[in-house]
Amino acid sequence: MPQFESHFFSSLIFWEVVSFAILLFVLYKFAFPGILSVLEEREKKIKNSLDEAEAHRVEAERRLKEYETRLAGASKEAEGILAAAKERTQRLMEENEQRLTAEAERIKGDATREIDHERRKAIQEIRTQTTDLALMVAEKVVQRSLTDADHRRLADEALDALSRSSH
Amino acid sequence: MEESPLHPFELHNYIPINLGGLDISINKAVIMMWVVVALISILMVTAGSARRLVPGKLQSLAEMLVDFIRGIILDTMGKEGMKFFPLIATLFLFILFCNLIGLIPGSYTVTSQIVVTAVFACTVYGLSLLMGFVLHGGKFFGILVPPGTPGWLLPLMIPIELISQLARPISLAVRLFANMTAGHVILGVLFGLAVSGGVLIGWLPFAFTIAMNGLEVGIAFIQAYIFTVLTCVYLGDAFHLHGHDEHAH
Repeated sequence: MPQFESHFFSSLIFWEVVSFAILLFVLYKFAFPGILSVLEEREKKIKNSLDEAEAHRVEAERRLKEYETRLAGASKEAEGILAAAKERTQRLMEENEQRLTAEAERIKGDATREIDHERRKAIQEIRTQTTDLALMVAEKVVQRSLTDADHRRLADEALDALSRSSH
Repeated sequence: MEESPLHPFELHNYIPINLGGLDISINKAVIMMWVVVALISILMVTAGSARRLVPGKLQSLAEMLVDFIRGIILDTMGKEGMKFFPLIATLFLFILFCNLIGLIPGSYTVTSQIVVTAVFACTVYGLSLLMGFVLHGGKFFGILVPPGTPGWLLPLMIPIELISQLARPISLAVRLFANMTAGHVILGVLFGLAVSGGVLIGWLPFAFTIAMNGLEVGIAFIQAYIFTVLTCVYLGDAFHLHGHDEHAH
């Protein structure tokens, strides 16, 4: 085999050692630090990015939950507001109705009372006038003076007779 | 027309150089080593100086290789093994590129020279021994005694472990050399058949040649990987001394 021709050994070994040493030096000095640092940097960056993404995800989930609870609270609050408004409207309406009814009642009562009063007054007036009239008539008829008491009595009797006849 | 399948492994001195009695003549294998050193340097230094967070193609390739080696080291030796990263990475890249470049027709496979693989194997194994003795002193002889061995088995276990230890550099060197040589011999034989078979039948071995070349690319990777992994394992053994299980080989 040509590989066992020992007269090439010395040159092969020499150049192998020299080549390898040069390569080792070049790579050690100019290649490996750069490549390894880039690899490490990238590893760190990827890890950081993943961590960051995870943190963002957790944060987003927390916010979502927060908004959901807030939304649920808001809808409950809105419902409450609506119910309160409804209740208030109802109450206002009822109050109004009551107030108006009472007012109407009062007006009706006042009117009735006034009518009654006027009627009474009118009757009284009529009565007085009738009495005076009757007195005048009676005076004319009797042609004599009567005491005031007699007048009254006579008048009353006449009135009674009048009101009886009018019934 | 017919030539020996071992012909591609022959070397011829292009420029004879003699350094104080030492023959360091330039031949094809030496030139291939230079090509390999130049290629790796250009690739890795370009990629290393790019330093972009989002890598381009070249940077991706270099980073893939570096990350691959880093993975091997971390798996077999742990974090402290990263001290050896430059050595192991250079070793891996050198062997890988030697293996791959040898597949280009007309080039030369440096790793098919037993002396080249032997130098690597002995360096790695010697380093592991040196490391072991520096870190553990005399206790490092304990590597010959697997943990839990009963005392009466020691006369048997120590020779077995000694042989297993000595087999490490030899197997490391021979495995790479034999794989590279065998692959090229097969390629040579098949291509020889294709040439001598003519158009009518020659296409069949020629198709096999193409398929074998594809397989050889895979083998080039696998052998570089195996050499690197075993380097890490041997260094790791010296590092941890029974910290891990004994690795079979």
